[in-house]
Amino acid sequence: MARAGACNPETGFGERVAENQRRVFQIAYGVLRNSADAEEVAQEAFLRAYQKFDSLRDAEKFRAWVNRIVFRLALNRQRGYRRRLARDTAWQTTETTAMVDGAKDAERRLTLERLQREVGRLPEKFRSVLQLSLVEEMDAGDVGVVLGIPEGTVRSRLHTARKLLLDVMK
Amino acid sequence: MKKACEKWKEPLREAALTGITAKDLEEHQRGCAECAAELDEVRARAARLDTLLPLMMQGAEPPADFRARVLAAADAAGRGKRGRPRRVWTLAGASAAVVVVLIFAVTLQRRTARRIPGDELAAAQKLAEWRAPSDGLLATPGREMLRTMPRLGQGYLNVPVKRDEEE
Repeated sequence: MARAGACNPETGFGERVAENQRRVFQIAYGVLRNSADAEEVAQEAFLRAYQKFDSLRDAEKFRAWVNRIVFRLALNRQRGYRRRLARDTAWQTTETTAMVDGAKDAERRLTLERLQREVGRLPEKFRSVLQLSLVEEMDAGDVGVVLGIPEGTVRSRLHTARKLLLDVMK
Repeated sequence: MKKACEKWKEPLREAALTGITAKDLEEHQRGCAECAAELDEVRARAARLDTLLPLMMQGAEPPADFRARVLAAADAAGRGKRGRPRRVWTLAGASAAVVVVLIFAVTLQRRTARRIPGDELAAAQKLAEWRAPSDGLLATPGREMLRTMPRLGQGYLNVPVKRDEEE
C-alpha cells in the first residue's frame, strides 16, 4: 500500500505541498499583504510545480523552485495592482488589525502601519530582501536563491533596509 | 545633537544596528553625554524595529484546507492532462502519415524525372533550336538601307554626278 502511494505522483506531491505550504504562503503574503491573494498565488505556484513535478521530485529542488515561482507570481500580481492603483492603499492597510491581534497598544498599531507603509516605499531591491527575510524558514541563503544574488549581498541589503527604516521608529 | 557631533551620526546608527561600537566612537562617547544618550535612543529604536518587523508576518498562515484545495486543483488539472495524450498521439500519427506520403511523392517524382527517353530529349533539343520560316524575310535589301541612315544633306539614293558633261 505504502509502495503504491510512493509511486503515485499525487501522493508525493501532497507531501511536498505539506512541507512547503506555510513558507510559500508567507512569501506571497509578504509581498501582497492580503490573505486571499496570497492563497491564490500560492495555489497557482503549487499547480505549476505539479505540472513540472517529474523534474522536481527532489525535495530541495522543489523547495527552491516553488520559492522562486511564488515570489515572482506575487510580484507580478502586486505590479498589476499598482498599475490599477485601486489596490495600492489596500496593500498597506489590509489586515493590519489581524496582524497586531496580540498587540493591544494603539500606538504600536499605528507604528506598525507606518512601518508597513515605509517598507512599501523602500527601493525594490531592499524591499524584496526584507520581505523574504521576514518569512519563517527562510535564511539568507534561501533568499539569495530566490533573488539570484549571493548570500553576502542579501545580508548587506537587509542591513541597509533596516537602516532606512530606523528613522520611521522615531 | 551638537554640530560637531554630526560626523558620529552614521557610526551611531551602525553601532545600534550591529551591536558593535567602534573604538573611536566609544572614546568619543565617554566625553560626550549627548552622543551616549543618542546611541541609547537609536538602540531602542532598532530594538523596536526588530520587534515590529516580524509582526508584519503575524497571521500569515495558509487556511487549514489549503493542501486539500491544492490537491483537488492539481487532480482536476491532471485529469485534463491525462485526456491530452490521446489527442497528442492522434496528432503525431497524422503528422507522421503526412510526412511519409510527402517523402513517397517526392521520391516518385524524382525517379520519373530521371527516366526521360533519349528520343524525347532529342525532340526537345530540336524544338529548342527551331526557328520560324518568317525569320528569313527579315534579311531583305531594304533592311540594309534602313540600317544606314543618310547624313544631313544626303539622300537615300547616291547618284554620282558627271561634272565634265555639265561643263
